[in-house]
Amino acid sequence: MATLYWMQTGACGGETLAILGAQSPSFEMLVSDFGIELLWHPSLSHVSPRRHEEIRHEIVAGSIPLDILCVEGSIVTAPRGTGLYDSHHGRARMEIVRELAERAGVVVAMGTCAAFGGVPASGPNPSDSIGLQFLHDAPGGLFPPDWRSRRGLPVVNVSGCPTHPHTMTQTLAALAAGSPLELDAINRPKAFFNTLVHQGCTRNEYHEYDVEDGALGGRACMFFNLGCQGPMTQAVCNDDLWNGVGSKTRAGVPCFGCTAPNFPREGDLFATDKIGDVPHRLPAGVERARYMAYKNLARAAAPERVKNKTMDV
Amino acid sequence: MARLELNVDLNRVEGDLEIGLVLEDGVVVEARTIGTMYRGFEQILLGRAPLDALVLTPRVCGICGTAHLFAAVTALEHIAATPVPPNATRIRNLCLIAEGLQNDLRQTFLFFAPDFCNPRYAAEPWFEDHIRAFEPFAGAIYRETLAMTRRAVEIVAHFGGQWPHSSYMTPGGVTRPADIRRLAACRTVLAEVRRWYEERIVGMPLDAWLAIPDAEGYLARLEEPGHGSSALGLLARSARALGLHRTAGGVADMISYGSWCDPMHWTPTADVRILPSGFYDGTAGRVEPLDQSLINEHVRHSWFRPYEGGRHPWKGETIPNYQPHSDRYTWAKAPRYGDRVVQTGPLAELVVAGDPLTVSLHRAEGSSAWLRQFARVRRIAFELEQARVTLDELAADLGGEHVLTPAGGGLPDGEGHGLVMAARGGLGHWVRIENGAIAGYQIVTPTSWNASPRDSEGRPGHWEQSLVGIAVRDPDDPVEIGHVIRSHDPCLVCTVHMLDTGRRIGFGP
Repeated sequence: MATLYWMQTGACGGETLAILGAQSPSFEMLVSDFGIELLWHPSLSHVSPRRHEEIRHEIVAGSIPLDILCVEGSIVTAPRGTGLYDSHHGRARMEIVRELAERAGVVVAMGTCAAFGGVPASGPNPSDSIGLQFLHDAPGGLFPPDWRSRRGLPVVNVSGCPTHPHTMTQTLAALAAGSPLELDAINRPKAFFNTLVHQGCTRNEYHEYDVEDGALGGRACMFFNLGCQGPMTQAVCNDDLWNGVGSKTRAGVPCFGCTAPNFPREGDLFATDKIGDVPHRLPAGVERARYMAYKNLARAAAPERVKNKTMDV
Repeated sequence: MARLELNVDLNRVEGDLEIGLVLEDGVVVEARTIGTMYRGFEQILLGRAPLDALVLTPRVCGICGTAHLFAAVTALEHIAATPVPPNATRIRNLCLIAEGLQNDLRQTFLFFAPDFCNPRYAAEPWFEDHIRAFEPFAGAIYRETLAMTRRAVEIVAHFGGQWPHSSYMTPGGVTRPADIRRLAACRTVLAEVRRWYEERIVGMPLDAWLAIPDAEGYLARLEEPGHGSSALGLLARSARALGLHRTAGGVADMISYGSWCDPMHWTPTADVRILPSGFYDGTAGRVEPLDQSLINEHVRHSWFRPYEGGRHPWKGETIPNYQPHSDRYTWAKAPRYGDRVVQTGPLAELVVAGDPLTVSLHRAEGSSAWLRQFARVRRIAFELEQARVTLDELAADLGGEHVLTPAGGGLPDGEGHGLVMAARGGLGHWVRIENGAIAGYQIVTPTSWNASPRDSEGRPGHWEQSLVGIAVRDPDDPVEIGHVIRSHDPCLVCTVHMLDTGRRIGFGP
């Protein structure tokens, strides 16, 4: 059995609600069939407040082994580094995370807030929020870059806003089984962050021929005008559909790049910054001159049914 | 007299919650609701593009993002009186209903019901039935609720791509139309949820359930095999045996913003709802028209830069002013309707809308912890019916527009508000746009109303009042407080700006 303790910090509860939507496996199956013993989850546990305090103290004292610590939400450090803008019985949650993490086999940042700071850390960052081991894409999180958990892993960044349900449950299933977990350059489990949201998008034929929408509610590609981050964003959204049925881009909502460390980016989230007619940010690894040549050819080759946007998505 | 001050923290709510209580001889004489977290969403929005509110405000709350999206888009539409086609309103309503089903079922059977599995009740005649139904991860109804709520939110994913946190409502409509494929898929989900609700939750067909005329009729049904052995029947009998139908009424006044925009008559400037909005005057016992201009927020007991009295959200400000060693005790503001402290939620919604059974129970027994929970489960029947009607209307108008792109694409400067009945009650967004950017954004959530602190006149909020008089047998396991607070369906992340005092709160003598 692998014990799991789930803690919410500067959170909206989005990962908790998203994980209840997982099916393969579901959250309850992690408990019944995947060897996870749930020590605590704030939305689901039913032990008394006193018993919860005891469990936490026993983890910190080492008498209950903690295999997996999940943190949902940004690490709030305001005011003035005390963390008291997010507290539990007068103690900064930041400090509680720190002491639990020292005991944990592995620490999992559930969501972009816990991983990189996310929405609370955007703009003026009124709560001085940070991630567990990053602030956006740089060091500056609660733990330094060389910090490792008991199993020798950095904080595992299961990012998203919210994180894709199966990215969460399947990562936990792998961790509970003790499987090796290959991480990418920003410590996300590679199995879920080595495909682009663009892959599997049903608007791909429009993208292919550079047939672009200029307003929301259409059928065509949203990359050139509507701010879609699909070609730059690693996530399984269009490979393993949300709630078993959809994805934002399929439904006509641009990808906002919510698994990335800079989410939410500055500037209009529904607009694409461009150099001339071409987006400032191009699909990962693409060279601008060649891309422009390719798009011009593609546009010229577009069949009428695509150009006229008659194909359903 | 034995006097005890304690801070109780409560799990199984959406967000984390602490409550400062003063007990005398085991009975609550003072209560302060204390949030524990501050993120500053309203400041994060300032200076951003107006449409960014459609992405950022749903992320205030993981459980009611669709309601925030609905409030945000209608606030933006209000500024320019943007036309919205009927099918867009239908799709918005349908998704809000799906989110509501999810919330009402999870809140009732994953958050509220497990309190009845507390070992405290092991000797009660109903205990074993409750363990079989509601024990976390094991009880039959608990597990079925996990499966059914997973299904319900598929409806949002069909139109918005995912639940939670999508941004598929846009000024002028929605991003994706209905078609026969999506309608059939949604009908399938609704048929499953409806059948389960009839068979397992209320123990009778929906028509029969909606036709129960009054309190007497309901209480008779409670003794019959169908409803009596259903999930709601089980909960009703145990909750009433514990006296929860006579406790924790809170304040008598209620507000509802009205449920679901009427697709044919609602416009951003003509607020026509399918279930009407209103203010229920608990003293006079009658419903009056709602006037949003009467909404105002006080900060006298909150950690914000002080101002006199209350301010309408358009004049509101959110400027932190942390004063831990004063009589200010929270980051929550205190919303008031005129000078009235009000409650909002499903009970308010059904009393204002005039559901005969809810109105009759309210007349007979008054507001209570049980009646609030009952109303939440009762509302599911209205949600299922409205969803069915909505799908029929969409099917009858398949060629209809789903979006009318506003002329010029952009939004003009100005002020707008969007009011929606979220799962927990009235949710309002007030936005001001200047020079094409957000210059002011104020959000007043249902939990801000219900979990309000004291106002400038020292009047406690609804929860604070509902807790006074509750007897707590074991302060280490205050299950009585759990029943009351969970009956309010608290969403602490929804209070947008809340912060713990970091200390116990003491009051005289």
